[in-house]
Amino acid sequence: MQRPFRLLAGLVVLMLVAGACGTDEYLPAGIVRTPPPEVGSVALPDATNGGEFSFRAEPGEVLVVYWGYTSCPDICPTTMADLRRAVADLGNDGQRVEVAVVTVDPDRDTPDVLTAYVRAFFPDGTAVRTEEPAALEAAARPFGASYEVSTNDDGYVEVVHTAFLYAIDDQGLIRLTWQFGIESEDIQLDLESLLKGYDNA
Amino acid sequence: MRSRLLAITAGVTLALAMAACGNGSGVEVSDAWARASAGVQNAGAVYMAISAGEADRLVAASVAPEVAAMAQVHETSMNEDGAMMMGQVSAIDVPSEGSVALEPGGFHIMLMELVEPLTDGATFEMELTFENAGAITVEVEVRDE
Repeated sequence: MQRPFRLLAGLVVLMLVAGACGTDEYLPAGIVRTPPPEVGSVALPDATNGGEFSFRAEPGEVLVVYWGYTSCPDICPTTMADLRRAVADLGNDGQRVEVAVVTVDPDRDTPDVLTAYVRAFFPDGTAVRTEEPAALEAAARPFGASYEVSTNDDGYVEVVHTAFLYAIDDQGLIRLTWQFGIESEDIQLDLESLLKGYDNA
Repeated sequence: MRSRLLAITAGVTLALAMAACGNGSGVEVSDAWARASAGVQNAGAVYMAISAGEADRLVAASVAPEVAAMAQVHETSMNEDGAMMMGQVSAIDVPSEGSVALEPGGFHIMLMELVEPLTDGATFEMELTFENAGAITVEVEVRDE
């Protein structure tokens, strides 16, 4: 008669302890920079809609920004395709994610070419482009994005660039930075966590 | 009787030898695909899986001029500053009794100056040149992955 009582007591204690631990804090796959870089006050020409584009999400939304170029055969399309899959897998929440692509190769990426490129992946995506090298550099700095466009001996243009995806919140802060090669599932889970963060606030 | 038997044996042996040699390659290429172009892109990338019996090296690739001006064997890599880059490589090694994958983020055949955007579902031929196996033609499938 004693033993079952003790077992039950033990079980109750275990359940209490488990309950006290509460929900596990989500560990994002993306990089969290502390303090989060402030890019909300950075603006570049909006090549899709005209006017200026500010790097700040709409209230309650996440803005994902990529610095790339359209003549990129492997890295950029792969990243865009992975992001597209992640956003699609969010279901309805996908509507709370905006995407913008900044070109590091404005000479070849005209507004039309860049817009067509972004919209091939994201129908409501925004192409961001400036012909002013100084303005592009100034904007890239708070992101920590770097790029170099050069012409090789055979006359072909070569571009070397950091290939991160930046998740920006409605305060204009970069909350997560995703490295090239990250799985789309990780992007999706990270985005869910960011969006949930708004809902729980 | 003996001479006929000899002739038959010789004939069978010859047939077997020819069948065993096949195209003499020992290299197999499978799942050759290219991502569909996003809007108007002037560059594309072709991926595939290559396996070999004997060790071999992929040294060149080409496509018809109606597809692209040039095809080059490339590798994507990251430099010490964390920036991504792509460079032409002189060859891709295929190990003996092994395989190598050309996949996003790694090796790929870059198509330069595409004549027309690559569209989902289209196919085109690509000729691959191997050091030992020689020229092999593969069909590349365009996918919107």
